[in-house]
Amino acid sequence: MGLASASTATDGMQLCIFDLRRGQNEGQELDKILFFFPADLPFSTQLSVIGLSEGLITFTRIFSPEAACEIIEAERHSHVFYEAETDIWMVMADFPVGKKLQLPSFRDCLKERGTVQMLTMGREAAIEVQSLVSVLDSCAGNSSCYSMILFHDLLVSTTLSPDDTINLFTYAVLRLSPNALSSGVNSWSYIRRGSTSSHFVSGSALTHSGPVSEQIYHSSDTSPVGNNINRVTRALQHGKWYKGKDGFLVTDIWGVDVGSLVCATPTVWLQQTEEAMYLCPYQFKSLTLILLIPVSSILNGEQGVALVKQQLLENASLKILKVEEKLSKGWGGENAYHVSGYRYLLVDGDRNISRASPPGKVTTLAKESLLALSKLRDEVDLEKSRAKRDNAGCEKDLEVSIRAKNNAWAIARITGGKELYMVLEKASETLLYASDAVEKFSNRYCNGAFSLD
Amino acid sequence: MSGKASSSSQPSIGLSGSGALSHIYIQYPPLRCSIPESRGLHYDDGTKLLIPSTSNQIFSWKTVPFNPLATSTSDSIPEGPILSIRFSLDTKLIAIQRSSSEIQFWIRETSEAFSHRCRSDSENILGFFWTDCPLCDFVVVKNSGLDLFAYDSVAKSLDLVEMRKLNVCWYVYTHESRLVLLASGMQCRTFTGFQLSSAGIVRLPKFDMAMAKPEANSKPVLAAEDVYIVTVYGRIYCLQVDRVAMLLHSYRFYRDAVVQQGSLPIYSRKIAVSVVDNVLLVHQIDAKVVILYDIFADSRAPISAPLPLQSRGFPRSYSSSSRSSGKDGECSEVNNKIDHEGIIYGDNWTFIVPDLICDAIAASSSETPSVLEFLQRRKLEAIKAKQLCLGIARTVILERRPVSMVSKAIDVLVSSYSLSLKTGSYFKGIKTESTSSGVAKTSVARSSTDVSTSRIDGTSIRHESTAGVDSEYPSRASTFSASESEENASSAPLRTDSRDLQLGGGKVDRVNLTGAHSSGPTDNPVFVNISEQQDSELTSPAISPDEMYKFVFAAVEEEMVGDPSYLVSIIVEFLCSTNMEKIKVHPNLYVLAIQLLARNERYAELESFVTNKILEPSKEVALQLLESGRQNIQTRKLGLEMLRQLSLHHDYVSLLVQDGRYNEALRYARKYQVTTVRPALFLQAACSSNNSQHLAAVLRFFSDFIPDFRTTSDFTTYYGILNEMNTSVAATSF
Repeated sequence: MGLASASTATDGMQLCIFDLRRGQNEGQELDKILFFFPADLPFSTQLSVIGLSEGLITFTRIFSPEAACEIIEAERHSHVFYEAETDIWMVMADFPVGKKLQLPSFRDCLKERGTVQMLTMGREAAIEVQSLVSVLDSCAGNSSCYSMILFHDLLVSTTLSPDDTINLFTYAVLRLSPNALSSGVNSWSYIRRGSTSSHFVSGSALTHSGPVSEQIYHSSDTSPVGNNINRVTRALQHGKWYKGKDGFLVTDIWGVDVGSLVCATPTVWLQQTEEAMYLCPYQFKSLTLILLIPVSSILNGEQGVALVKQQLLENASLKILKVEEKLSKGWGGENAYHVSGYRYLLVDGDRNISRASPPGKVTTLAKESLLALSKLRDEVDLEKSRAKRDNAGCEKDLEVSIRAKNNAWAIARITGGKELYMVLEKASETLLYASDAVEKFSNRYCNGAFSLD
Repeated sequence: MSGKASSSSQPSIGLSGSGALSHIYIQYPPLRCSIPESRGLHYDDGTKLLIPSTSNQIFSWKTVPFNPLATSTSDSIPEGPILSIRFSLDTKLIAIQRSSSEIQFWIRETSEAFSHRCRSDSENILGFFWTDCPLCDFVVVKNSGLDLFAYDSVAKSLDLVEMRKLNVCWYVYTHESRLVLLASGMQCRTFTGFQLSSAGIVRLPKFDMAMAKPEANSKPVLAAEDVYIVTVYGRIYCLQVDRVAMLLHSYRFYRDAVVQQGSLPIYSRKIAVSVVDNVLLVHQIDAKVVILYDIFADSRAPISAPLPLQSRGFPRSYSSSSRSSGKDGECSEVNNKIDHEGIIYGDNWTFIVPDLICDAIAASSSETPSVLEFLQRRKLEAIKAKQLCLGIARTVILERRPVSMVSKAIDVLVSSYSLSLKTGSYFKGIKTESTSSGVAKTSVARSSTDVSTSRIDGTSIRHESTAGVDSEYPSRASTFSASESEENASSAPLRTDSRDLQLGGGKVDRVNLTGAHSSGPTDNPVFVNISEQQDSELTSPAISPDEMYKFVFAAVEEEMVGDPSYLVSIIVEFLCSTNMEKIKVHPNLYVLAIQLLARNERYAELESFVTNKILEPSKEVALQLLESGRQNIQTRKLGLEMLRQLSLHHDYVSLLVQDGRYNEALRYARKYQVTTVRPALFLQAACSSNNSQHLAAVLRFFSDFIPDFRTTSDFTTYYGILNEMNTSVAATSF
């Protein structure tokens, strides 16, 4: 949510992610840029934004070595800092052209890890999926693999820890899902109308930047995308994944294996188990399977990976077919989770799962409704942080309703770690009416989780 | 003739090749009948009597049920030559062939006799048999055709009912199949068949058997001893030895066709065929081994490696000794268990329509799912087959065999159980409601099953085993699920109007059928074997989900070491199978799954198991979630949520209070009128929060919610505490 709402404001707003450890030598400065928005800005501008941020961080560290600056508000600009991992910084820079942005806590936006969107399926399909999962996880013999299954852009199953799940899910939706592959841009493309994929590629795709001294990159193992090859891996590049003949997705982002001249299999670092894993995505129609094989279990590199892939095809093909068929049968289409009359966001904070009205429906909301929603969120965030301060560990129940200028109701209900946000533009009569509508929604779609007892 | 199968507890691997191993055992001790001056020994397969005779006496031993200590009954008859003896099916009459043209009938009750002679001298009696066909009681096979007679018990004579004229060289007949095959032609390889079942007489289309020529222009003649009628899973087959080609050809009989099914290789000049518990035994007599085939499956591969026939319980030192001195020469017709003990396949063995019991050593076969399939089709000694199945299931899991293989094995067991529910053979020991739940799910796809069962329902059948000729040719798929139905079909007579029955209201028929089952096993017409083994408790080796839980999953879980995720995978496969068959699973299995997942700290997956209802909600499941939730708050929440969704109000409210969420608990209690939770619990919780406002609110709530609450001791106690709190607050604030 954070990213999505941030990027709606394009004027003068920049978001960059950079690695302080990289690009310290002259001529290699570009290496430090991990991500930049907008990507079509000239590199010189990107570098100057990052340079300024770096300067501010270094400066403020003099006074507070443990926690550098969080927010700098200046007359002509404001910077919001967030150190996502050691030496990896996310900085949102705002150079207001006319008006200042009206958004709830910038920093919270940066901190937010995002959520996973789940597919709802029947018991039978779920059992089939689980059966497939056990085949996937035992693909590489004795060493246990992890797996994640997506259907369209929705999560079907995962054996990863919640944190790793969010990271990989987000990456998959942005770069691996059938949507991401076919459009070349990410699945939030509706937000970015006007930017073509070619811009992204030219903007962020950097060629090998020559030999780099080893001591700098030794530490790169701790980055989420850890690998030992002395080159900068830009895992976020667009349009770099494509589907091979065998159904597996391949990319040359991680370079080419010297021995076999095939694309090197990407590796990712799992935070939960602190293990490097080969990333093997496989796609069949709308189904994307991501198999993670422990690097330590594969002795002969690419050959070994190819063997496991072969195993997967042999053991799981039938089941994949079956699961795809089952899920397709139950698939309600893009607007499957639309509830007419409601615009909603459902967040399960404990499980980092969310579900919302489909984007196409959300964009029909009036500006006034959105403003009311923004205000509502502000209130809720405030209330939540207060509750957290007061008594940590105890969950607070909360209900906030705001009447917008266009007579729409913006309502938030929080209970037992679950949050429901809702905009009702047509429930204009009374608060009672609006409250009834929420109750109905809760009973029908949330097992009564938000119903007031 | 009836041995008892025993699920061999014999270890198979260590002993292989030692000669001690065998798949087939002859029951030991055998039935011994020593009759002085015995002239001949006969076996009547219609009454299953073993009949030694002297010149003026007939002895008879019952062979079913088998009892080595059985005593004989004897009848004194007029002296004379005895070519053949058959008792009438009610054993009131004895038919004795005296010559090629005369049969004498002996009425046992009155010791009267009457005779039947051929009309013309050119006619020769080839044989005769009693039948339960409604048209006639007695059939004489002559070289000129069949004569069908009805017995007139008043006039004490035979009335000719029908004649079927045709040239007959020789014939074969088994009572089990009610099928008589008449051989004709130069090579005796052209056959005409009649089935004399309780529905009437059916003439089968004429057909030729295949015979290879040793050389051009030579035409071998087929002999009666080379043709066997066998009944396997209610289907009737004919097996024919082709001595030239060294093949055993098989033919299957359908209502309107005879179809060659394929051939089995033979390895001996002399072979014999028998069927035990639907398993085909081909005795390769020269080689002194027996090969087992399960011809239900399409595969022509033997079930197991060829191994010798042995005597169970017979001292081994004897079994390997070579021939004993052949002084028992007077036994002209020797049964394989009356013979000189210890000699297997002696030269003078005659294989008569046998009921030997085979003993499958499951471990010697490597294909577990097919072994299970095989075992699940066993009808005799079902309990042993069942225990063997359970043992195999446990073993494959403990040995951590590939999930796909175990999954197949489980599939076999579950679908077999499902089938047994549908056909009702699992009715013993299972509650009526679960039987009917199986019934409700009859699928249209199984309409062929329905047809056969519905017929049985319509016609009450009192006879034991009559093999019906299968009319479902050629669409009969040889699937496992069909086995029961064929079994049923075996007791059904040949159909006269099977077309009408196709696809017709199978469901309703099935329900009727089950209704009949619940009336009790003894008068149940469907299960042929019941009458023969009332002493056995089980009629089906099918394994219910409860038993799967108890004897497989729970048992295995105790023994299993290491990563429990393998067992979780197996449970998922089991759920997959039960879901396909729409069989309910015991909540304990879900509880086990939760424990295993929690042990691995796979809480996120556990969550998806619960939210996707792979583990179906129940109180047991909810409580286990709460239990496992001690280590993981999310899991605990799932348990709470499940209680709420199951409307287990009392438990839900109590747990909310336990968690200190007493405000929520109060709201909930008010909404659902939960009055069973004691107010003291809430008051105690509110009190321990040390917040006077909370305590006041709770007191106030109960004063409103429960009439007369103000008069209870709870109220007085906590009201006092509240006052104390307030004064102390007031005191400190001043």
